[in-house]
Amino acid sequence: MRKISLAVTLILFFIISATLLGLILYSPLPVLGQSLTNPEIQFAILLSLVTSVISTIICIAIAIPVAYALARYQFFGKRIATLALTLPLTLPPLVAGIALLLFFGTTAWGRALDQAGFAVIFTPLGIIVAEVFVNIPYMIRILRSAFSSINPRYEYVAKTLGCTDTGAFLQVTLPMARHGLLAGAVITWSKAMGEFGAVLMVAGATTMRTETLPIALYLNISTGDLNLAVAAATILILISLITLCAVEYFDRGVHVF
Amino acid sequence: MLRIESLSITLGEFSVCNVLLEIQPGEYFIILGPTGAGKTVLLETIAGIHMPESGRILLGDNEITSTEPRLRNIGMVYQDYMLFPHLTVEDNIAFGLRQRKNSPDNHYALVEEMCSLLEISHLMKRYPGTLSGGEQQRVALARALVIKPEILLLDEPMSALDGRTRERMRVELSRIRKLTGTTIIQITHHFDDVFALADRIAIMREGRIIQTGETSEVFLHPSDTFIAEFLGIGNIIRGTSSNAGNIIQITTRNGTAFFAASDVIGDVVATLHAEDVILSTAPFSSSARNSVLGTVTEVIPSGSTVRVILDVGFLLTALLTRESCRELYLEPGSRVYATFKASAVHVIPVTSQQ
Repeated sequence: MRKISLAVTLILFFIISATLLGLILYSPLPVLGQSLTNPEIQFAILLSLVTSVISTIICIAIAIPVAYALARYQFFGKRIATLALTLPLTLPPLVAGIALLLFFGTTAWGRALDQAGFAVIFTPLGIIVAEVFVNIPYMIRILRSAFSSINPRYEYVAKTLGCTDTGAFLQVTLPMARHGLLAGAVITWSKAMGEFGAVLMVAGATTMRTETLPIALYLNISTGDLNLAVAAATILILISLITLCAVEYFDRGVHVF
Repeated sequence: MLRIESLSITLGEFSVCNVLLEIQPGEYFIILGPTGAGKTVLLETIAGIHMPESGRILLGDNEITSTEPRLRNIGMVYQDYMLFPHLTVEDNIAFGLRQRKNSPDNHYALVEEMCSLLEISHLMKRYPGTLSGGEQQRVALARALVIKPEILLLDEPMSALDGRTRERMRVELSRIRKLTGTTIIQITHHFDDVFALADRIAIMREGRIIQTGETSEVFLHPSDTFIAEFLGIGNIIRGTSSNAGNIIQITTRNGTAFFAASDVIGDVVATLHAEDVILSTAPFSSSARNSVLGTVTEVIPSGSTVRVILDVGFLLTALLTRESCRELYLEPGSRVYATFKASAVHVIPVTSQQ
């Protein structure tokens, strides 16, 4: 058993490494450098960075109270709520995307938002909406498990020492959950950088308008510009690598899935 | 004075039911009870963490039943100390002061004073994770005491400590109490804590306070069998009592009888401390009213003492030193006389529940 399992592990390691290295080394360095200065790629990097950072911040802001409620309070319909809140986790992003498209495109709500100047469909705002929708369950799950693992008695003591409820949360529970929060933020951000299906559905794939890195990869592969596609892919691989290292560094105990 | 009136609260599987307690200023009050009796819930409700379903809590002349915990001025120390792991010892202790709007200089002086009182000044820059159990305990006490609480609540504060540290902590607690005059309410299941520290105790079972009183009073006169068994008195004998002059005679189910100094007539439970039973190979004349012949059924050594179980018609436990046991050649089957005073027997009337 030992020999077989070690052999399989080794073979898998080589296959994965070889595949990814093959992609990174596909274009010679000068060509890669040239691709990176291409305005389309630069636009995609910038758009991806801006939308992913904003969507991560929104995810954190919403997930903190939600995860806290799920971890600490008992309320009617908690099981259903938990299920609904984490459903997008297992939902194919394309499905989430089409649901969003219908919601913002065909309902009175969506039209009202559009009239008010918050056009979501086929706009960069749509990218943020799609990323938040798809990624917030990860943030909620990670934070919920971080909050659950903190004994509520820390807060009780803080309250007897003079804290309000909010004060006890901000001064004790949140700092104690900081590793989970950081890991969750990094994971959410990296998933936002790589989000494709939902973004494609909601924001479309318009060159130099809603063109994030994955969309750039998709558009360039469709038009046969392999070098640009590889450049986008290389950046995405680097981001994944950074994420993995960061999560390992922040907390080995955080369960992503 | 802290007064708790008909307090009830249910929290998951724990409940507190119709509790009435009165704790005097400066008193060291201990609540004893088996696990799951609702002791922690009671303490947390006094601290204001949980809202009671009914009843009132009064501190002095003020009703504090629905006052926020932060405004009650009641400190709390848990079994696992709950030191904030992301703060240094110094910041942990200063935590309560920072919530109040004093000047930072004042903070530092108060924290230092408290640290030197508890002899933890050398730990101030360290994080709680690096401290021993006893050290964490001191930090937790300092953190609770630095805000000068009117009442300090201790939830099994020493159960995570080893024997010697416990003893030192007991001395420490009694010293702190003398120095600060703080009223202390402690939960424990260690009788040593009770004998060493408590002015008065309450016994709690299934959410109810079933007996309150001075420590020696409760141990000598438990009000029912549960308390007697829980306090580990040694002999709990059921029987029926009848008048026998100034005292009573208790007859067990199979007919054996003995005397007790009491006036309770009817179905009773008699308790007798194992150390009050004297064993001898021959009868001897003494002031003790009870002397019965029995057969040794078991000899159980425990530390420096030996528990000898006799069949005298009912089972009787006697506590002897190892020397006495050896000199009497006691082993299962030995015939010995058991002698005990009628006044050593404590009689509890059997209520309908039992």
